[in-house]
Amino acid sequence: MKGVLATDRRGIRELGAEELVGWDEVTQGVILESFEVPMEENVAHIRPEERPYSDFSSYTATVASWRVIKPVYNRDICIDCQNCWVWCPDTSIISRDKQMLGIDYDHCKGCGVCVEVCPTNPKSLLMFSEAEEPEAALAKWPEKKKKEKK
Amino acid sequence: MALTSIKNLKEFSTANERFEGAHLLCPGCAHSMIVRELMNATDDNLVIASATGCLEVCTAVYPYTSWDTSWIHIGFENAATAAAGAEAMYKARKRKGTLKDPDAPVKFVAFGGDGATYDIGFQWLSGMIERGHDVTYICLDNENYANTGGQRSSATPVGAHTSTAQAGRVSYGKKQKKKDIVAIMAAHGAPYVAQLAPNKWKIMAKGFQKALETEGPCFINTVSACTTEWKFNPKDTINITDLATDSLMFPIYEIIDGRQLNILYRPKNVIPVEEYLAAQGRYKHLFKPENRHVIDMIQKEVNERWEYLQRREEAGV
Amino acid sequence: MAEKMELNEVEVWDGNYAAAQALRQAQVDVVAAYPITPSTPIVENYGAFVANGYIDGEFVMVESEHAAMSGCVGAAAAGGRVATATSSQGFMLMIEVLYQASGMRLPIILNVVNRAIASPLNVRGDHGDMYAGRDSGWIQLDAFNAQEAYDLNLCAFKIGEDINVRLPVMVHQDGFLTSHTAQNVYPLSDDEAYAFIGDYKPVDEMLDFTRAVTYGAQTEEDWHYEHKAKQHRALMDSYTVIDRVFAEFKEKTGREYKRLESYLMEDAEVAIVALGSTVETALLAAKQLRESEGLKAGVVAPRVFRPFPFNEIRDALANVKAVAVLDRSCPMGAMGALFNEVSAAMYASPHRPLITNFIYGLGGRDFSLEDAKAIFREQKGHADVGYITTPLQQFSGLRGPKLGFYEMKRSK
Ligand SMILES: Cc1ncc(C[n+]2csc(CCOP(=O)(O)OP(=O)(O)O)c2C)c(N)n1
Ligand code: SF4
Ligand code: SF4
Ligand code: SF4
Ligand SMILES: [Mg+2]
Repeated sequence: MKGVLATDRRGIRELGAEELVGWDEVTQGVILESFEVPMEENVAHIRPEERPYSDFSSYTATVASWRVIKPVYNRDICIDCQNCWVWCPDTSIISRDKQMLGIDYDHCKGCGVCVEVCPTNPKSLLMFSEAEEPEAALAKWPEKKKKEKK
Repeated sequence: MALTSIKNLKEFSTANERFEGAHLLCPGCAHSMIVRELMNATDDNLVIASATGCLEVCTAVYPYTSWDTSWIHIGFENAATAAAGAEAMYKARKRKGTLKDPDAPVKFVAFGGDGATYDIGFQWLSGMIERGHDVTYICLDNENYANTGGQRSSATPVGAHTSTAQAGRVSYGKKQKKKDIVAIMAAHGAPYVAQLAPNKWKIMAKGFQKALETEGPCFINTVSACTTEWKFNPKDTINITDLATDSLMFPIYEIIDGRQLNILYRPKNVIPVEEYLAAQGRYKHLFKPENRHVIDMIQKEVNERWEYLQRREEAGV
Repeated sequence: MAEKMELNEVEVWDGNYAAAQALRQAQVDVVAAYPITPSTPIVENYGAFVANGYIDGEFVMVESEHAAMSGCVGAAAAGGRVATATSSQGFMLMIEVLYQASGMRLPIILNVVNRAIASPLNVRGDHGDMYAGRDSGWIQLDAFNAQEAYDLNLCAFKIGEDINVRLPVMVHQDGFLTSHTAQNVYPLSDDEAYAFIGDYKPVDEMLDFTRAVTYGAQTEEDWHYEHKAKQHRALMDSYTVIDRVFAEFKEKTGREYKRLESYLMEDAEVAIVALGSTVETALLAAKQLRESEGLKAGVVAPRVFRPFPFNEIRDALANVKAVAVLDRSCPMGAMGALFNEVSAAMYASPHRPLITNFIYGLGGRDFSLEDAKAIFREQKGHADVGYITTPLQQFSGLRGPKLGFYEMKRSK
């Protein structure tokens, strides 16, 4: 699945790190074009990793530095229900062919919504400190929790 | 018209996103959940107009855009008219044969916050609906002017604290009732009007698809929980929305042709509004003993409203 | 297909009808409009053309002028020809969107039938609305009569839509004096007019789905200034295209337009600078004074108010001794805007004539031949003694005690 979880264009610069060009180089009418070249096909039929995003697309920027905690994904427990996909506010759950593949850490802001809506027991997504290595996080994964008696 | 499959979430998740990350909306903001779902509900090309507000100032800040479709922002009050103008141009050019690809399917959509919709852009929206443009207008109702720091709007509910309807020693927050925008839009005779919520993703996606499919102007009020101004932890956006729909603070229903009202979600266990209010900082002051009557008043209103919606549904008029 | 209209070689049209005919001949794709006196007949006549099959485009009668211009912006961004009309209060309601239209570089044509601005409410003509648009980033063309209202509308599409301009254009005419006065107008045939304007060439259109374009992005302190400067540069440079279009129009019709019109200026000793229908009154006064009193009077009139013909003003007034600049809008706490701009141009010139300012004609107050003559004679007086003997700002045709502001400072 190389080329999906990390593409050449995604998150290549911090917001605000772009070159400040002069008046003669800004776009006419403040127009922003999302793609480098005209699209031969309806964009809705092209997967993000295959699109020629221009530098003007926020796809090419990263907000990773906003995060203090991050979600870590545990494939072994996941049932591919896609709850995390539908409710992620930052288009940061990467799902292809009905499968959850992982997290787009260039665009994830660490809100934790995906963890809240994950229905498995234990959860297939958990929040860890930004510095935590994924392997270490997975090693610490909790056991299945007994249902609390009401 | 190509609708994406929403049979279940797995199928829905095969939609190719056209709303990109690295926008500037707060972590956990429901605006983008709603926008993503709308855009993923169809394969058609989209021409989207957005009003000034959180969505606009966070998704098109030069030199970045988060939109993979045609998108326009003019001002705070005129998103409905921006979309209507584009739709009129589409009709004219289709008739005259000057479109690059006359067969490419397209939908016209406008997004506005509650400020843009209930308040400053009310007249523009009313005009667009009255003239019958083929535009789907979606209000992202977070019940305040979030972009400018959380002032009251006419969508702010009774009892909420905002920076311009403050709770204080002698005030319990906003005194006036929330405007019933859904009824007003239905009274225009719009063919499809609804109130939807992102926690009920399938009902919302269905409603979006109905609106996109319906010819003519459609209006949808969506509940958009705002972590910053409602004051809750960003991770809880969907939890709070669950409390909103299950306490019936936000009933989910549609009105067809200004007449037939259908309730789209009936909570199995209706929870007291108190639980919903207690989960948000903006209602914190209501839990002082002297404000108990406000909570009771809100509960009474919610009960009466639910009763009314059910009776209207039954009556079918 | 839209029905064509057979026109006579000479028609008797008022300014409004002339403008409406030009919009019809341009086969505008979308007109989004709202009625207001005195521009209403433009919209009504357009509606009649639509109702009778002379137009294929969409006619969207919206609920306010703000919405009219908003609809125009949405439509223009969708890649077609767009026009509308308004006056006065309607213009004021549009102002927010005027800036948005020009910032997005959308070539919308707006007919402004000039009318005073309340309060107090007044339906008659002055230039309050035209002046309120002067920083909005639009090209402003000024018609002095019905023929010009027609001609300049045709030119406006060709100028604004030019790939090197891409800016919205206002065509001004004076409320009632021009808009409601029937005059002989020589129109082009439908085919000739359309061929002159040409097909609309879409740029960054929202309906080209092979490209996703974002219109109306936010720019903060890092970017706003550069965008505004670029837009200003485009407006400043648009004069080359304006000149070219005027030249092509002359070739086609024999009618000549210049960004700055000069009448009887070759040997003029005194001059009036004015806008709108007043130009014709001033010119008649100059002609009569030349005959009756031998007074070498001339008239200078910006045909193009924006971009302001700065260099042309300097050249036109290079040899006059005294100039009166007439402002038909109350400047409220300053000298008149046209006076200031003319003065600025002459200050950057080795030759600096004596320049005074007259406010006149507010709310449709008549500006008579005698008023114009009196102003010319006063300028002659200044020219003879070599300094300005009156207040620098005066009020022509105003009842009550004489009102005036500022004196000339002389070193002696
Ligand atoms: C004409 C005008 N008035 C006021 C503003 C300032 N303003 C910008 S956004 C906004 C509030 C937006 O509130 P809402 O529509 O509810 O959207 P939200 O930010 O809450 O999503 C205000 C007051 C403006 N931009 N334009
Ligand atoms: S933490 Fe928030 S932004 Fe990150 S993947 Fe989860 S839901 Fe998306
Ligand atoms: S919500 Fe949990 S179980 Fe469902 S797809 Fe996401 S990670 Fe897997
Ligand atoms: S303030 Fe509220 S509506 Fe605005 S971006 Fe933040 S969470 Fe979203
Ligand atoms: Mg809001």
